[in-house]
Amino acid sequence: MSYREKIAWVMMIILIAGGLFYFNMVWKASQALGDIAPPIIPFVIAYVVVIVIASIIAVVVIAISSPTEANAPADERERRAESRAGHVSGYVLGIGVITGLLHYSVSMDGNMLFHTIFASLMLSQIAEYGLQIWYYRRGV
Amino acid sequence: MPKRPPITNRVRELRETHDNMSQSALAKEIGVTRQTIIAIEQGKYSPSLESAFRIARVFGVGLEDVFGWEPDRL
Repeated sequence: MSYREKIAWVMMIILIAGGLFYFNMVWKASQALGDIAPPIIPFVIAYVVVIVIASIIAVVVIAISSPTEANAPADERERRAESRAGHVSGYVLGIGVITGLLHYSVSMDGNMLFHTIFASLMLSQIAEYGLQIWYYRRGV
Repeated sequence: MPKRPPITNRVRELRETHDNMSQSALAKEIGVTRQTIIAIEQGKYSPSLESAFRIARVFGVGLEDVFGWEPDRL
């Protein structure tokens, strides 16, 4: 497995775990309130901090295990895989944002809008890493 | 699954006839990762024209001695 594929796997797992952690908190808060919870900024900050720290640790550990590959720039196949994955993940984000906005225009529920757009951001990042892995393995 | 490109290649065969050159050594010569050489050999990736020329030059053969066009795979 190449250095960049390892990074993609680790980042995808971190993002999935972080997303589950965050939305589990939001779900519990919503249940306690009996309505959709408003944006809980400490949860958002905790999510971002955990993701950043976990990513740095993971990338450093992988880079130490493959120092030559870590220092080398992405080659043409990797760049193409990253480009295609980024292109598709843009659609995921766009669809999520438009869905959130359409829902908002009907319900005027700003809390739901926040959660939908935040979830779309997470999903688009997860999709990007997932698709990178797909292209690395299945060809691009 | 992404459609395989209609391009065949003899990279593995040429490596073997060139002192069993390793995939890593070829990758280093071309400036790509070993995984990219594996993907080329398995027909999962069509290299850029520049890399194709680099591969041919490593083996001292012409481009069409390394790569072929197989329309049936379209």
